[in-house]
Amino acid sequence: MTWDALIFYLLGAVSILAALGVVAAANPVHSAIFLILCFFNVAGIFVMLGAQFLAAVQVIVYAGAILVLVLFVLMLVDPDDLPEFHNARPVQRIVGVLLGAVLLLEVGLAIVSRTVMGQQGNATPELIALVGGNTQALGNVLFSQYLLPFEAVSLVLLVGVVGAIVLALPERLGAGSPRRGTISLGHPRGADQALAAGPAFETPIVQTRLEREEAASLDGSRDLIMVSDPDEYTTIGKRGRVR
Amino acid sequence: MTAEPQPVWLTFIVAFIIMNVLLIGMAYMTWFERKVLAAMQDRMGPTRTGPRGLLQPLADGVKLLGKEDLIPAAADKWVFFFAPLVVFVTAIVQVAVIPFGNTITVFGHPVNLFITDLNVGALFLIAFGSIGVYGVILGAYASSNRFSLLGGLRSAAQVISYEIIVGLSLVGIFLLTSSLSVREIMLQQQAMLQIGPLTLPNWFILSQPLAFVLFLIAVVAETNRSPFDLPEAETELVSGFHTEYSAFRFSFYFLGEYINMIVASLFAATMFLGGISGPGSDRFWGLGIVWLLVKVVLFLFFYIWLRATLPRFRYDQLMGLAWKVLLPLVLLNIVVTAFIRLVGNGQIF
Repeated sequence: MTWDALIFYLLGAVSILAALGVVAAANPVHSAIFLILCFFNVAGIFVMLGAQFLAAVQVIVYAGAILVLVLFVLMLVDPDDLPEFHNARPVQRIVGVLLGAVLLLEVGLAIVSRTVMGQQGNATPELIALVGGNTQALGNVLFSQYLLPFEAVSLVLLVGVVGAIVLALPERLGAGSPRRGTISLGHPRGADQALAAGPAFETPIVQTRLEREEAASLDGSRDLIMVSDPDEYTTIGKRGRVR
Repeated sequence: MTAEPQPVWLTFIVAFIIMNVLLIGMAYMTWFERKVLAAMQDRMGPTRTGPRGLLQPLADGVKLLGKEDLIPAAADKWVFFFAPLVVFVTAIVQVAVIPFGNTITVFGHPVNLFITDLNVGALFLIAFGSIGVYGVILGAYASSNRFSLLGGLRSAAQVISYEIIVGLSLVGIFLLTSSLSVREIMLQQQAMLQIGPLTLPNWFILSQPLAFVLFLIAVVAETNRSPFDLPEAETELVSGFHTEYSAFRFSFYFLGEYINMIVASLFAATMFLGGISGPGSDRFWGLGIVWLLVKVVLFLFFYIWLRATLPRFRYDQLMGLAWKVLLPLVLLNIVVTAFIRLVGNGQIF
């Protein structure tokens, strides 16, 4: 076995194991880490195929930018708050299993209906060397043969950006509703347990009736507030420990 | 001009030497920083360990090795373990595409003074720069500490914003050289330009001055250095993403940050200041390395100078600067460069 084959099988094996890890990991942040590992190994396979540009772009765009944003979201959400991760509703499970089975069938059929080798494309090493390298070859194809799909994709991305701005800044666009942002940071992993295990709420020493009433109203819970600016806030409920 | 092929073991020796020199350089970068900062603040800096405090980096290393390695009880252990390594490894791997010279002959063997000449070398550097941020945000997450998490989130947003500027500021150079290889770009800068009575080297700082300024600003932000060191803003976040890290795990973050600075300086010197080019570098390869080192030290001095003189940005100023000021400028630079290039080629007008 040559070194090339050995490295290929190593990259392939690690990317498949990492892909399994994405599905199997209980913690969504761990899933995201496995996905980064998978992308990285796929980039390595691109390099072995002589597509260095594609590999670099794969790492910069997917591993470097998109997954950072995915992690961003996952880190702020306590996984216990998401029913999808632990106790999904029956209907979610059934639909999930069905969709998964359909996908598996599709992939299986695709593999069975062709030989594993696939069809020989026209991007041979000689032709790529003729236009000056893999970057130039990709650029030539992308900006001539596939120009329309390329522009369509950029339009879709533009719509996505506009949508994000609309969601983030409704009042500047005349939607009228005041801007509301929460100050909640979510809970870093384990912070809740630490809070629960922390010192118990102490009952203040009370003398007068007024103070007693005030103390009775204190139950160690916190008001959950929404703020628009430091001077103006709305109480939307209570949260915290029940004594 | 393609590189001479050489046996793999020779590349390994070159890589071994370059990476070790980089690590020693990093250690003495801390000494250099402390001395320069001290001079700017009218202090002495380290003086006790060795002559002029020259053994201070060694003492720091030994001290960090001897410290207790603390892991928070609520930490995500595996992620906590490997996050500092991500920063360190991605920082040190980047040096692989930096050329330190051409092919020389040692004992009859042709030896390439670079580890590899990747045809997408510049993208390789940008890619590993953007991967490095995982070390910061995963370490921040795994610490399960709010200060850490805030620092990690800041870092993620900051690096994503500024790596766009870094990448786009180099597009002008790619347009001028028609190449993504760092070595090819460096070789093209060894030509001389005749402008009127002046003979100037074809360094891209002359043809791409705006891109150079933008690159410099963005690279300082991407390496989390002052005045863009918000991920570890002491006054508000204790010490940001590495609050919970101690001992040698902390020192991997520290190593990573300084190696990133050195690599960024090497990158800037190679892309904009001609790398090894300078008087006499075409006759003797050692002189080329000296020129490169001089340029790198200039950039490192610039980093420290910024740290000593500028107050930290506010977070919204940081983001506003990237998206509202630098991004339009860098796009303008690309459009103007592309236009001039087309006119120069006679493809329009």
